Amino acid sequence: MIDRVLVQGNEAVGWGALNAGCDGFFGYPITPQNEITEFFAREMPQRGKVFVQSQSETGAIMMLFGGAAAGFRVMTSTSGPGWGLMQEGMSHMAAAELPCVIVLVQRGGPGQGSVRHAQMDYMCVTRTGGAGGYKNIVLAPASVQEIHDSMQLAFCLADKYCNPVVVLSDGVLGLIAETVEMKAIDFGPVPERVWTVKGRDRQKSGIRQFIHTYPSGAPPPGGYPDYVPWLEHMGQKYDKMAESEVRYETYQSEDADLLLVAYGYVSRVCKEAINMARAEGRRVGLIRPIALWPFPYKVLRDKVDRGCSFLVVEDSLGQMVEDVRVAVQGKAEVHFLGLLARHLPTQGGMILPNRVLDEIRRLL
Amino acid sequence: MAKGEIVINEANCRGCGFCQEFCSLGCIVIPGNRFSPQGYLLPVFASPDRCNACGVCAWMCPHMAIEVYKYVESKGGS
Amino acid sequence: MNTKPAKRVKVAATKRTMVMPMPGCPGCQYPTVGRIIAELLEELNLDGKTIEVVGIGCNSGVAMLNIDAIQGSHGGAPDTATAIKRLSPDSFVYTVQGDGDCIAIGAGSFIGALTRGEMITIIMCNNANYGTTGGQMAPTTLMGQITTTSPEGRGAATGGYPVHVAELAATFKGVAYSARGALTSSADYQRTKKYIKAAFKKQIDRIGLGFVEVISACPANWHMSPVESLKWIREKMVPEFPLGEFKNVDHID
Repeated sequence: MIDRVLVQGNEAVGWGALNAGCDGFFGYPITPQNEITEFFAREMPQRGKVFVQSQSETGAIMMLFGGAAAGFRVMTSTSGPGWGLMQEGMSHMAAAELPCVIVLVQRGGPGQGSVRHAQMDYMCVTRTGGAGGYKNIVLAPASVQEIHDSMQLAFCLADKYCNPVVVLSDGVLGLIAETVEMKAIDFGPVPERVWTVKGRDRQKSGIRQFIHTYPSGAPPPGGYPDYVPWLEHMGQKYDKMAESEVRYETYQSEDADLLLVAYGYVSRVCKEAINMARAEGRRVGLIRPIALWPFPYKVLRDKVDRGCSFLVVEDSLGQMVEDVRVAVQGKAEVHFLGLLARHLPTQGGMILPNRVLDEIRRLL
Repeated sequence: MAKGEIVINEANCRGCGFCQEFCSLGCIVIPGNRFSPQGYLLPVFASPDRCNACGVCAWMCPHMAIEVYKYVESKGGS
Repeated sequence: MNTKPAKRVKVAATKRTMVMPMPGCPGCQYPTVGRIIAELLEELNLDGKTIEVVGIGCNSGVAMLNIDAIQGSHGGAPDTATAIKRLSPDSFVYTVQGDGDCIAIGAGSFIGALTRGEMITIIMCNNANYGTTGGQMAPTTLMGQITTTSPEGRGAATGGYPVHVAELAATFKGVAYSARGALTSSADYQRTKKYIKAAFKKQIDRIGLGFVEVISACPANWHMSPVESLKWIREKMVPEFPLGEFKNVDHID
């Protein structure tokens, strides 16, 4: 019998992580995700699992480095200003091929920006901010159920590729409450960790393990003979991720002349606008990327061939719109409706369905 | 009769001179005319008869260039 | 009566932990710190369940011991060690870091671990400069000491004053042991080994965090011979950084 419970978006991060068997949470407070840190502070110790409030986000990510290296499922959670502090650590985790899940609950930026919602971290999560051009999968749930399920998928993908995975939420999704079916998803057995540090005599091979990120200095985990062969392997891994982990949803898109492209909470605003537009006889649909990296370029390119034009709706000054332009390669019109269309000039303003409908009417 | 003996690993030696500095019995000298293939000035176990296998030269050598052996008396006969 | 000839027995450093030379310039004493650690790990029967976390810099050569080891970010070793120890408390976890790694770039991580009283050991090697990168000023550089980023000698106006990390660590309630040793004589070697053993025991007995600062020679960047470097430590560094135990408690309530 699976529980259906009314759960806040931020708390669903926690329930999803517990269902994925998360062993340790290491994090630092930041608005609008403090409910996540507080959830783990409450729930982990009573389950015999680890919670540490680190001294900073730089601390948190290097704790993840250790926990993942020791063979455990570990995660952290932050918002934009904290994400910046984690970039060096993420580069190290990607280089050492260590799995982890990082939740980013978007608020307005840059700088301290606003403590309310926004969608202004698309670029920095999909382009990876740490040194060296590694890649990380980014999942963008649009409902509290999807947050719960994405957390479990994230742990699975992190282990599958031995790589950090990001779950991108925002200040709206984090704070609303919706009914969630609290089901533990079975992704099959967790792959055996290829390298962990646990003590030399506990290694199956009996040979000591040295995990590090400088392959010219000492043999790296994985046994690549030097820097270039190691990088070649990384490139192949990222190509495989790009090929295999595209995820998206379409809504009324089959006969659409205008396609909205939106993710996260804005995609729900768009669905409402589409319903209203369809009632007026306008052929409009939605493509909702569920994974922001790898981005569903091909899906959009296929729509270009059908003669569609695109309206990207994003609560920012224009970030995902750049990927849509890359996808269409100049062969279709790409319009943008962003943060400046919010109904209020304050941090509490939103792009409301009627505003999107006005734009649809203008374009169709 | 010496109680101990050292063997200098000339490939590892970096000519730092700590062994000569710390041997309290003066067993080790750096004559200044022998170099390793890397160009480091090599020490010589010049007075082996004094060695008592205290091990200090090996402790203070950072480069694992000294192995210490001690002579353990065997008892009994036929 | 025949006596058998004396047997020649190797007095080995360790049985299985020190298997190759650790990297270091001639007379660098980081490998000596590594040797002391290796001897203690075997004496205390810990080497098979040890996870060593090294920083970035010359100190990381200590990762060449035959034990599980990990190197993450510059300064992040106490964080990495925290997570490993919390998740696998029956492992033996310690860090080996340089002075900059520990108390410049790593100060946040270091203070965080001390504040939380993590059940780990932190070993900071103090050679008064940033060695790997060619000899820049470090938090522990002496007043007037010439380095590549204090070419006129460290002056208060631009460079501040040397940091005394062992004394600082002793002020934290979660720290059960803090000491400073050097390696300028065989007696020093044995004293420093005693300090590191005492720090290790605070983890074994689950009392609290153990910290040891070891003053180590850096002849290459001090532009002295190795033997002169030891003299410089005795005459200049030890007066600034006194040796001894600053804290040693059997329980923290």
